[in-house]
Amino acid sequence: MSLIRQVSLLIVLALMVGLLGAMGVSVGSLRAVLQDQARIKNADNAQSLALAVSQQGGDAALIELLMSAQFDTGHYQQLRWVQADGKTAFAREAQASGGRAPAWLRQALPIEAEPGIAQLSNGWQSIGRVELRSQLGYAYDALWQGLLRAAAWSALLTLLALALAQAVLGRIRRPLDALVAQADAMAEGQFVTVEPSKVSELRSLTDALNAMVQRIKRMFEAQTEQLGLLRQQAHCDALTGLSLRKHFLAELASALARDDLPERAGLLLLRLQDLAGVNRVLGREATDEVLALLGQALQQYTELGAQGIKITSAGRLNGADFALWLPAPAVLDDSAQALAQTLKLALQQGGGQGGNGVLRLALGGAELTRDQALSQWFAQADEALAQAEGQAAAGQTIGIALRQVPARADAPVLPSGERAWRAQIEAALAQGHTRLLQYPVLDREGHLLHWECPLHLGLAERSGSTPDFVNAQTWLPLALRTQLTAEVDLAAVALALQQVREDGQMRALNLAPASLLGQDFVTRLRELLRRQALAARQIALEFDISAAQPKSFELLRELSRSLHPLGVRIGLEHAGAQLQRIERLYELGLDYVKLDRAILVGVHEDISRAGFVRSLVIFLHSLQLQVLGEGVDDPRDAQALLDCGLNGLTGPWATGHQVK
Amino acid sequence: MGPRRPAPTVPAAVINRRLFPAFLLALALPVLAWDRARLLEQAAQLPPTVQRVVQDLVGLIERSSAQAPAQRVREVNDFINQRVQWQTDQQIWGQVDYWASPLEMFEKGRGDCEDMAMAKYFALLAEGLPESSLRLVYVRAQYQGRPQAHMVLAWYPTPQGEPWILDNIDPELKRASERPDLVPVFSFNAEGLWQGVGAQGAGNPLTRLSLWRDALARAKAQGF
Repeated sequence: MSLIRQVSLLIVLALMVGLLGAMGVSVGSLRAVLQDQARIKNADNAQSLALAVSQQGGDAALIELLMSAQFDTGHYQQLRWVQADGKTAFAREAQASGGRAPAWLRQALPIEAEPGIAQLSNGWQSIGRVELRSQLGYAYDALWQGLLRAAAWSALLTLLALALAQAVLGRIRRPLDALVAQADAMAEGQFVTVEPSKVSELRSLTDALNAMVQRIKRMFEAQTEQLGLLRQQAHCDALTGLSLRKHFLAELASALARDDLPERAGLLLLRLQDLAGVNRVLGREATDEVLALLGQALQQYTELGAQGIKITSAGRLNGADFALWLPAPAVLDDSAQALAQTLKLALQQGGGQGGNGVLRLALGGAELTRDQALSQWFAQADEALAQAEGQAAAGQTIGIALRQVPARADAPVLPSGERAWRAQIEAALAQGHTRLLQYPVLDREGHLLHWECPLHLGLAERSGSTPDFVNAQTWLPLALRTQLTAEVDLAAVALALQQVREDGQMRALNLAPASLLGQDFVTRLRELLRRQALAARQIALEFDISAAQPKSFELLRELSRSLHPLGVRIGLEHAGAQLQRIERLYELGLDYVKLDRAILVGVHEDISRAGFVRSLVIFLHSLQLQVLGEGVDDPRDAQALLDCGLNGLTGPWATGHQVK
Repeated sequence: MGPRRPAPTVPAAVINRRLFPAFLLALALPVLAWDRARLLEQAAQLPPTVQRVVQDLVGLIERSSAQAPAQRVREVNDFINQRVQWQTDQQIWGQVDYWASPLEMFEKGRGDCEDMAMAKYFALLAEGLPESSLRLVYVRAQYQGRPQAHMVLAWYPTPQGEPWILDNIDPELKRASERPDLVPVFSFNAEGLWQGVGAQGAGNPLTRLSLWRDALARAKAQGF
């Protein structure tokens, strides 16, 4: 029995004993009072009757008349005249009056009043005595009324006291519940602080737990800071703070492979013309300053996240070459112009140091579809850059050249119009045109950890025509625009549950962070999983790292809290440098984190990158999180990552492996 | 003697002092039986002269068992009439009407008519006379040439016969018919008063609502 329930029971019992006792005492004393009153009345009435009778000169007829009159007009039960020789000269008796009091009361609490006795005389002569008993029906009625009143008050007071007790218990219960919730959350790996309790005993407990959470938080912050430094060393150019060539290429490769980014994207290349010449004119230090200014301008641009572009990354490819990746369609032109403005300011600043006329920039960009190879991207962008260099050579401070590369001819044809998209997605869900692909996630011994299952939707242009199965890269933007991600995600979970029932193997599904924002998504998801409790234990749900951003942080935490009891595992994917920006990762109660390909590629040949990954793994392990690697294709990288302590890997390397 | 008026409250400390033993005693003994030990114990707290009077009374009561009822009645009447001097309540107690218990009266050495009648009543009960044969009687007395309210004790040798009168105005024991100066008005005794009250007798505040019952309760607590 819970503590609160025991206390409640104790209160109820104590109240019952107290109030029943009080009721007993009050009824008991009422009975005593009534008994005394009846006795006094008997005695007094007997005396006054005797006084009257003693003045009648012993006339028996007159005496009997007096007695009759007294009996008939008063409230008596019995009236007797016993003569001096013991004979009864006159006796009257009335039926015991009914009254409203129940018979059991007369038996349980009898009112015993002695008869009133007084001596009768005629002159000096004794003529016996009078005995008189009053009617007690009234007394029983009064006792009954008193009992009812006492019971009513007792009941009322009990209710009041219970309400009061309930309110006070509530005051104790709230902090206690918060404390229990905090402890439960800790067991789940969520480290949250609670309001300090007002109850002193509980306060020391909440204080202790909060202090512990604070300590964990500080440890986390220290580790995060450490990680930041390591990342800086491993990924960033010391002079400009931009990504190093190797890291930028890795980021770009990862971004091209992802299925949740728009189909078309842009790549901008930026070159400071004639670096050797600039170096000669300005000197090495001033040149470095100019480069740093350029780097700053690009950094600013990425941090602004202009035009709502999700992840923009910038890198320094080599000495005078910079690159900017814009994962959004139709932003290339605007971005190039905006960037040119910023850069012009930077150049003027640099020019102030005497470099006017020497500093010239070329800005070349291309927009392609993401299914093009990395080499194709750079080929297109380089051509544009060469064109821009021509313009810059012609005397402009900043030359700009941009080009649009059309989609490959064999790319799937997208339906047009939101209504059509909606209809097609809904039809696919209704007709079950859904497919889960399977990619293995393997641990260091080559055992299967779980299947990664991306969803393919079969979209048909007209109802009845053969559906064309497309990957998330195609359907996700449509679903996002039509706000159908929640429906699609639920369908994917249902399908995965079905497959788990068949083979019992664990499956991981990628859910859209946008689904979290849906009205009752978590409730429906929980209901779906709860109905198949056994299969639900073999389900893992993962969200893009962006789901842990402040906008949906609470929702993710809520989801994790409500699904964990069902045995469902929750993870984050595509986690990279953003991990350290999630301030309260330890509050989410996650099970695993999948590291983005961008920070994993090339670890086997770069000690500082490997060092960063190792520190990240140690940090995540300290939060009780499993760490998995995404998109690993090089076996040497795979070995290096396992050496860094990753718990498992996915990607071409794992897919090519014999699943044990 | 004196007019009947509502009585002022009476100090009850004397009775309450030994309430608990009184309670036990009342359980063990017949109602209104006397308790020699208690009477002497109560008297021991009084001055030696008063103690002597009480001891004499106890001696009188103890000797009486060998005598005929008439002789007992005469001796008690004489004893009280000789040992107690008549005065009004106003003179003795400073109150219009106060019913003193026998010990209170002995302590003062003085008593009015009802104090003396009661003392005789209690003494005769202690000597074993049946309660029904004794009655306290309110009488109209022709005294010193004018009618006065007075109280005497009447003893009925037979239930329906003529009573003998124990009086302090005329200290000699006489038949009722020999006392033309007295006209009986109303009589009473303690018969039935204690019935069923049992243990509460002396302690229950309700029993003291009347002067008579109050006096009875005090006398009882003091051993009568």
